[in-house]
Amino acid sequence: MTPNAGLSEPSGAPPPPRSRGVIGLHEANCTSCMLCARECPDWCIYIDSHTETQPATTEGGRDRTRHVLDRFAIDFSLCMYCGICIEACPFDALFWSPEFDYAGPDLLALTHERDQLREWMTTVPPRPDDPADGEAH
Amino acid sequence: MSAVELLAVATDAAGDSTSVDTSFGCLTIDVPPERWVVVATAIRDDPRSDCGFFDWLSAYDDRDAGLAVAVHVWSVGHKHGVILRTQVARTGGWLPSLTTVWRGADWHERETFEMFGIRFEGHPDLRPLLLPDGFEGHPLRKEFVLASRVAKAWPGQKEPGESDADLSSADGPSRARRRRLRPPGVPESGAWGPDQ
Repeated sequence: MTPNAGLSEPSGAPPPPRSRGVIGLHEANCTSCMLCARECPDWCIYIDSHTETQPATTEGGRDRTRHVLDRFAIDFSLCMYCGICIEACPFDALFWSPEFDYAGPDLLALTHERDQLREWMTTVPPRPDDPADGEAH
Repeated sequence: MSAVELLAVATDAAGDSTSVDTSFGCLTIDVPPERWVVVATAIRDDPRSDCGFFDWLSAYDDRDAGLAVAVHVWSVGHKHGVILRTQVARTGGWLPSLTTVWRGADWHERETFEMFGIRFEGHPDLRPLLLPDGFEGHPLRKEFVLASRVAKAWPGQKEPGESDADLSSADGPSRARRRRLRPPGVPESGAWGPDQ
C-alpha cells in the first residue's frame, strides 16, 4: 500500500473535467514576463531569467535581445489552487492538470521546479472545446 | 414577491432614506445608521417579513466611503431573507447593538468589533472574541499591514530577465537600481516593522 493510497479515487473513475489537481508549465510558451508571479495572491511562483543577445542576422541589422528562463517553480505548499496565474498568462504557458497524488512527508518537496512542471504538462487533458488541440501541448 | 414585501417593511420603518441593491441575486437594503435598530426590529416583527432567524453580521472596508456593516437574516416561514447594510465612519465609528433584536448577534458583533474597530453601543459584553490579549490593530481593515508580507521578499519584484542574484548585487544591471515595483498593500522596504 502506498502512502497516498487513501487519496486515490476508490472507484478508479477518472477525475471530473477541469479538475484542479496541479499546474503544468509549457515552457516553450513562457517569455519570463513575470505576470503570473505578480498576480499570484499567495506569492508562490518563483521565476529567474536572464537576457541573451542574438547578433543581427543581416548586414546593418539590429541585435535582438530575448529573455531566457533559468528557474520556474511553484510552491504547492502555499498555492491555493485559485488558477489566477493560468488566467493571467498571456502566452498560454500554464495549464491545469487533474493529477493530485503528489502529497508526501516533506514540505520542501512541494516546491515543484521546472522539470517537474514540465512532467505535469504531459498529463494535461486536451481542451474539450477544441478537438484539434492535444498535439499543440 | 417577497423582495417587494421586505423592502416595503424597511421603507415603512426607515422612510425614503433606504435604497436597494440586488447585485449577485441577493436583496440588500441600505439603511441609515440612526435607523439601524428600528429597521431590524421591523424586519423581525412585521408579518410580511417575519425574519426571526439571525444568520450572520459582519463588515467590510469600503475605502473612502468608510466601513460597511451588513447583517443577513432569514424567515423560516416565508423562506426568504434579506441583508441590511449601513455605513459607519472609519474613525470612531459605532452602531447600536442588534443583540436586543437577535440574541445571536452577540459573538458576531464582538468579532466585527475586534476585526474592524467598530463599537456596538448597548452590547452586553463587548470584548475581543478571537484575537489574543494585547493585539494591536484591526486585521480586516485595508490599512492593516500583514507582517508575513513584509518578512518575505515578493517574487514579483524582479523584472523579466532578472534573477535573485541581480536583486542582491549592488553593481548589477543598471535597471536593478531603479525604483522597484511594490505589491499592493505592502509598505516600502524599511518603512514598517519593529525597528520603526
